[in-house]
Amino acid sequence: MAEVYSTLRTPLVLDNKSYSDITRDVCETLDHRPSTAWWAAFIVSFSLLVIGAVAIAYQIATGVGVWGLNNTIGWAFDITNFVFWIGIGHAGTLISAILFLFRQKWRTSVNRSAEAMTIFAVICAGIFPIIHTGRPWFAFWLIPYPNFRGPLWINFRSPLVWDMFAISCYFTISFVFWFTGLVPDLATLRDRATSKIKKKIYGFLSFGWDGSNRTWHRYEKVYLLLAGLATPLVVSVHTIVSWDFATSVIPGWHTTILPPYFVAGAVFSGFAMVLTLMLIVRRVLHFESYITLHHIEQMCKVIIATGGIVGLAYATELFVAYYSGNEYERFAFINRALGPYGWTYWIMVSCNILAPQLFWFKKLRRNVAVVFVVSIIINVGMWFERFVIIMTSLTRDFLPASWSAFTPTIIDIATLVGSFGLFFTLFLLFSRLLPMISIGEVKNVLHYANNGKGDKK
Amino acid sequence: MSHEHHPKDEELQTGSGVGRRDFLRLAGFSFAGAFLAGCQQGKIEKAIPFLIQPEEVTPGLAYWYSTTCTGCSAGCGVLAKNRDGRPIKLEGNPDHPISKGGLCAVGQASILSLYDSHRLKGPLLSGKEATWNEIDAQVTSVLSRIRQTGGRIRLLTGTITSPTTRAVIAKFFSRYPNAKHVEYEAISCSAILDAHEITHGRRILPRYHFDRAQTIFSVDADFLGTWISPVEYTAGFRAGRTLEGTPPKFSHHTQIESQLSLTGSNADERIAVSPAEYEGILSQLAILIGEKGGRQTGLTSKINPEMERRVQRIADRLWQTRGRSLVVCGVNDLRLQLLANFANHLLDGYGNTVDVQTPSFQTNPNDAALQDVLHEIKAGDVGALFIAGGNPVYDLPEGETLGANMRKIPLVVSFAERMDETASAATMVCPTPHFLETWNDTEPVHGAVSLTQPTIPPLMKTRSFIESLSAWMGESQTAYDLIRAEWRSTVFQRQSSKKTFDEFWNDTLLKGFVTVSAPTFSQSAFDLPSFTSSLNKTDVPKDDGSMMLVLHASPTMMDGRNAHNAWLQELPDPVTKTVWDNHASLSRNTAEKYGLAEGDIVKLEVQNGGDVELPVHIQPGQHDAVIAVALGYGRKGTDRFTNIGPDWIQARPTVPPGALVGKNMAPFVGHANTLLTYITNSVTISRTGRSYSLVASQEYNSLRDPNLLGEPTGERRPIVQEATLAAFSLDPSAGSFRKPHLETMWPEDHKYTGHRWGMAIDLNACTGCSACVVGCQVENNIPVVGKDEMRRNRDLTWIRIDRYYDENNDGSFSVSHQPMMCQHCGNAPCETVCPVLATVHNDEGLNQQVYNRCVGTRYCANNCPYKIRRFNWFEYKRGDEMQKMVLNPDVTVRDRGVMEKCSFCIQRIELAKIEARNSGTRLKDGDIQPACAQSCPAQAIVFGDMNDPESKVSKRMKNPRFYKVLEEIGVRPSVGYMTLIHDRPDDKEKQHHG
Repeated sequence: MAEVYSTLRTPLVLDNKSYSDITRDVCETLDHRPSTAWWAAFIVSFSLLVIGAVAIAYQIATGVGVWGLNNTIGWAFDITNFVFWIGIGHAGTLISAILFLFRQKWRTSVNRSAEAMTIFAVICAGIFPIIHTGRPWFAFWLIPYPNFRGPLWINFRSPLVWDMFAISCYFTISFVFWFTGLVPDLATLRDRATSKIKKKIYGFLSFGWDGSNRTWHRYEKVYLLLAGLATPLVVSVHTIVSWDFATSVIPGWHTTILPPYFVAGAVFSGFAMVLTLMLIVRRVLHFESYITLHHIEQMCKVIIATGGIVGLAYATELFVAYYSGNEYERFAFINRALGPYGWTYWIMVSCNILAPQLFWFKKLRRNVAVVFVVSIIINVGMWFERFVIIMTSLTRDFLPASWSAFTPTIIDIATLVGSFGLFFTLFLLFSRLLPMISIGEVKNVLHYANNGKGDKK
Repeated sequence: MSHEHHPKDEELQTGSGVGRRDFLRLAGFSFAGAFLAGCQQGKIEKAIPFLIQPEEVTPGLAYWYSTTCTGCSAGCGVLAKNRDGRPIKLEGNPDHPISKGGLCAVGQASILSLYDSHRLKGPLLSGKEATWNEIDAQVTSVLSRIRQTGGRIRLLTGTITSPTTRAVIAKFFSRYPNAKHVEYEAISCSAILDAHEITHGRRILPRYHFDRAQTIFSVDADFLGTWISPVEYTAGFRAGRTLEGTPPKFSHHTQIESQLSLTGSNADERIAVSPAEYEGILSQLAILIGEKGGRQTGLTSKINPEMERRVQRIADRLWQTRGRSLVVCGVNDLRLQLLANFANHLLDGYGNTVDVQTPSFQTNPNDAALQDVLHEIKAGDVGALFIAGGNPVYDLPEGETLGANMRKIPLVVSFAERMDETASAATMVCPTPHFLETWNDTEPVHGAVSLTQPTIPPLMKTRSFIESLSAWMGESQTAYDLIRAEWRSTVFQRQSSKKTFDEFWNDTLLKGFVTVSAPTFSQSAFDLPSFTSSLNKTDVPKDDGSMMLVLHASPTMMDGRNAHNAWLQELPDPVTKTVWDNHASLSRNTAEKYGLAEGDIVKLEVQNGGDVELPVHIQPGQHDAVIAVALGYGRKGTDRFTNIGPDWIQARPTVPPGALVGKNMAPFVGHANTLLTYITNSVTISRTGRSYSLVASQEYNSLRDPNLLGEPTGERRPIVQEATLAAFSLDPSAGSFRKPHLETMWPEDHKYTGHRWGMAIDLNACTGCSACVVGCQVENNIPVVGKDEMRRNRDLTWIRIDRYYDENNDGSFSVSHQPMMCQHCGNAPCETVCPVLATVHNDEGLNQQVYNRCVGTRYCANNCPYKIRRFNWFEYKRGDEMQKMVLNPDVTVRDRGVMEKCSFCIQRIELAKIEARNSGTRLKDGDIQPACAQSCPAQAIVFGDMNDPESKVSKRMKNPRFYKVLEEIGVRPSVGYMTLIHDRPDDKEKQHHG
C-alpha cells in the first residue's frame, strides 16, 4: 500500500511501520545478549559508580571535611549536584504528565525513557541531601515519625523539611506513574518471553494484564489521574528546592524570583538531558523511525522557550540587585559576574543563554550533531548555574572578614563523577530490561498523519 | 530549669522504689553497658572514688586558687579553676593591683603547657634519665671543687621578680668566691634601665601610668601587645579613654613605628617611619618641648619638613598636657631612651605618668652583663653555668656558638621544662615544674607582692629552682618553707595590718596578692650633665636608605617560650592574622618593587653574613624600607605539630617535612655596643622563585568592596561604625548609623519575662589582643585544627576578632578590630532553617545549639549573616591523653558532623542561676561573666540581663554610641557594639588642611 502522508501534519512514526514492527523494533534489543558497545558503556559507567561509591564511603567514614567546604561555604558540590539532578528529573514529568494532558502526541516516543531518566536522576539527587549531612546515619531524623524523644518533632519551618517531603513525594509519584505506564509493555514482554524466569518476572510485574478492553479502560483512567497528580509536582518540586535559597537571608539567595527561575531552569536542563540520552539511544538502537527529527525539533523548541525564561531571570536578578539599592545584594551580583568566580558565571551565561540561540534556526534544530553538542553544553551550563547560585553567593556575604574561597577536593569530583556513573548505570540496565519506548502508546499514534500498515486484526 | 515538672519526681514519691520509667532506663543502661563492654572499643578506664574525701572537694564543683601567672614576668594575678583535682582554666584576678582582672592570651593558654606530655619527666644527667640524688651528688661534688679552686660560677636567668628566689640565689652565691647572677631577656629593653641609670642614678625600670596620661607618644613601643606588661598597660590605656564626662575623657595616642604593631593599630595617629628616623623625631620633639619650656637643649635634628610639621603638632599637644603626658620608646637603643627620658623630664612626666619612686621590676635585663658572661664562657673561664629561664642557645644571636662553648664548661645545669636547645647542650637538666604545680612569689611592681601556689601535684618528677639551690646548699628545704621563711623575715615586716604571720600568710594566699609598703626609691632629680655627656657619647644613626630588617616580638610566641603551645601557635596574630608561621612582612610598594606576592619565598641576607629564607607577607601600614619578622619561631621540637590536624587524603602537614614552625630569627639580632639590637641595616632581598602556603585566618581585610583587581574601593560597609572625637563631642551618636525602622508582620510572641541575656562590646576599648579567643577556647573545649584546616578556613573558634584595614585615598590608614561571635539573634535565621530543631531559642533569649540533635546539614551556618557557626568537619584530635585533662567537664566535647557556636557560656549562666537559687538570692549583674568578657584586659565586653534596666549591658545599650551589626536585615541580634572613637581630624578638616 502506498504511503500517504498528511501535508499539514508531520507523522510521528516514519518508515511505514506496522504494529508488529513496533513491538519487534522496541523489544528486539531485549532478546539478544548485550552488545559489545553496551558492555563497554556499562563498564565505564559502573566504574564511575564504583569511584563515587568509594568516595562516599570514605567521606562517611572520615567526615564531610574531605570535601572542599569551609566555615563560610557550607554547601558547594553537594547541593549543586542535588539541585542539578533534581532539575534533570523535571523533563520526564513534564513530558509524561503535562504534555499528556495537553494531548501532545509526540511525547509517546520519548516519555518512557524520559520518565526513567527522571527516576534515575531523582535517585542520584536523593543521595546528596543524605550524604551532605555531617552525620548521615541520623539523616532519618528529617522524617517526622513517632518517637520517644519528647516526642521530638521536626521543624516544619525549615525548607529542608519541605525538600524532604517534595522529593520523596516526587519520587513516589514519578515511580508509580512510570510503572503504571509500563504495565502494558511488561505484558508484551511477558508474552514474548522465551525463558520461564523471564516470563515469571515480567508476568508478576505486569499484574496479570490481559489486554482486554476493560483493562485498557481502567489503565487509561489511572494514567490520566496520575498525570493530573504529577502535574503540580513539575512546578512544586523545584519551587520548593528554590526555597532552600529564597527563604534565606544571604544576598544572592534571598530573591523571590528563584521559584519560576528554578522551574524553568529545571525543565530546560531536563530537556537537554533527554535529548542527550535519546540521541544516543536513537542512534544505537536504530529508533530513527520513532524518535524522528520532528521529535528533536519539538524538544529544541521547549529548550529555547525555557532557556529564554532562564535568560530573563538572569537579567531580572541583575536589574533588581541594581535597583534595590541594597549594597550587599548589589555586591553579591557584581561579585557573581566579576569576582574571583566570575568565570563560572560566564560559563553559565554562555552555555545557557548563548548556546541555545542556535535553535532559532530550523536547519540546526534538525541537525542531530548540533543538537547533541548543544544539549551537552546546556547540561554543563545548568550545573554551573546551580554552582554559581549556591557557591558564589556564600563566598562573600555580609562581613568581609569571613569571606572565603572554595576549591573542590578529589572526593568532591569523585562524588560528582560517581553520580553520573550511577545515572548511566541505571539507564543502561533499564535499556536491557525494559522497553525504552512505550510500545502501547506509540502504537496509538502510529496512524497520526500517517497511513501506516497496522497489523491485520 | 526550675519550671520543668519531671514525671520522675512523682514516681519516686509514690515509694515504689524503681518506677516503670526507671526500670526501663536501668534496663536499657545495663544492656548498653553490656553491649559496650562487649565491644571493647577504647580503653576501659577506672574511675575510683576518693577513699577519704578531701574536705573542700565536692565532685562536680569547681574550686578556685588564687595564684600568679608566670607566662611572662609581668606578674598578673590569676584565679585557677580546679575541677576534680586538676586546674582547667585560668582567669584574671579582678582585685589584683596590676592586671585588674584581665589575662592575656598567653596567660590563658599557659594551662595547656601544664598538660604537655613533652615536658621532661624527670632530671637528666648527660642526656640520660637520672634521680635527683644522682644529680645532687654530681652538682655538689663539682661545686665543692669550684669552691676550693675559686672557679667562676655564673647564673643566667630571665627576669627574676621573686623576692624569695633572689634571697635564695644570694645565699647560694655567698658560699662561693666568684659567683655572678645575670638576668637577660631575649627581647630586651635593657636600654631603658641603662638610660635611667644615667639620668636618675639608678638602674631601674619606671612604672608607666597610661591611665594618668592625657597624651601618649610612643616610639615603637608595643605596649598593648608585647611590651613589658601589656595587660596592665591595656587596662591603664583604656581607663584613660572612657569617653565619660564633659569634655569626654579621652587620651590622645600617637604611635611612631616602622611596622604595624597591635598598639599602632589602635593609635589615634600613627606614623609609619623608617627606624632611622626615630632619633631625628625624638630629638626634634625634645628641642620643640625644650623651646616651649624656655630651655636650651643643645640638640640638633634633621628631619624632613613634613615630619617636622607633624612633630610640631605632637609637641604642642604634649606640652599642652604636660604633667599628664607620657613618652615611651620601645627601641633597645640608649640614645633613643635617653631622649625619651629627657622628653619625659621636660614634660614633667617623672612623678606623674612615669614613676621611678615605686618602680617596676617586670623586666630587668642587663645586656652589658650578658655580654660579659658570654665572653667569659667563650674564653673558657666559667667553672659552672646555671641557666634558669630563657633559652640562650636558641634566643641569643650567637646561640649556636654559645651551645658549642657550653660543652667545654665542666658543669652546665639547665632548669628547662622541656628538652630545649639549651637543655640539649647542658650537662644536666633539672626540670622545673609548671607554675601551676609549685610555690613561688613575685613582686612585679614595688610593693605589690603575689603568691603562686600549686593547684595540682607535680605531674612530672620536677623540682623548683629554689628547691634545687637549697638542696645544693645541703638544706633541702621545700619551696613552701623557703618562701614562708623569706616572707616571715621580709614581706611580713613591710605591713602592719596583720598581727601574726599565719594570719598574714593565709589572707595573702586567699587573695593571691598583698600590697605592702614600698620604701620609695629616692627621687633623684634628672641628672642633666650626665644625660648630656652620655648622649654625646652615643652615635647618631645614619640613614643609608638601605632595606632594614626589623625583628619584633610576637604577641603569641614572645621570645619563643610558647612555641610548644598549640593554642598560641594557632591563635591568629592580632594584626596579620597569620597562624603557624613567621614571615617577612613587606609593604605593598616594596613587594611590588621586588615583584613579590604573598607567600613567595625570599632570601634575606644581612651584611655580616647569615641568610634566611622566609615567605613574604604583604603588610599595609608598614614603612617601605622595612622588612619585619617576628622572633620566637623555629623552636626545636615544634615538628611535633606536623600531624596535629586531621588525617585524610588531601591533608597537608602543619609543619613542612623536616622543618620547624617558622624560622628562628635570633641569629639576626645584632649588637650595638653592648645592647642587643633588633634593627639591622643593609639587608638584601632576593627572590627564590618558590612559594609557601602562608595561612591567615582572614582572607579579605577591608570593609570596602573589592574592585575588579580585588582592591578595596567604594563605600565602607557599616559593620564597624566609627567617629572622630570631635564629632562625638558634638553628637554622642556620631558615626552610629540611624537605627533602621523595621516593619514586621508578626506579633511579638517572645515575651522574655525572666532574664534576657545580651552583650555589648565597646569597640573603643577592644584592642584586638585576642585574649578572649584563647579564653573561650579553654572554657569551651575548642580543639586545635592544624594549619591545613586553618588554610581551608575551618577554624573552630567561637569568637574571632575581625580586623579591617582602611586605606584612604589621602594615604591615611586606619585599623579596626571587632570581636565577632554568635549574636544570639531574636529573629535568628539559623533557627528557622534547621530541619531537626537542633538550634532553638530559649526563653532567656539564647540561641542554643543541641549537639546530639544536630545532623549537620550546615544550613544554619550558610544562613548566618555573621558566619560565626563552626562545623566539626572531622573528628578533631584533642591533644594526647594528658592534654585531655584540660577539658572543661561542664562543656560537651563535640563529635564530628555537628555544628557548634558561641553559647554565651551557658554553663556559667546555669551555674550562677543554680548558686543564686541555692543561696536564695537574686542574680546580681556581673555574677555571670562569659569567658571572653572575663579575660578582657580592657573590659570591652559586657554581658548581662537586658531585662534589668540597671545592668551594665542595659546601660551600654542605651548609650548613643550603641549599634547593632546588620540590624537592618531584621535578625534582631542580642549583641551590640559601641562605636569606635579616634581622636583624629575629621574628613572635612582633612580636606581643609590638605
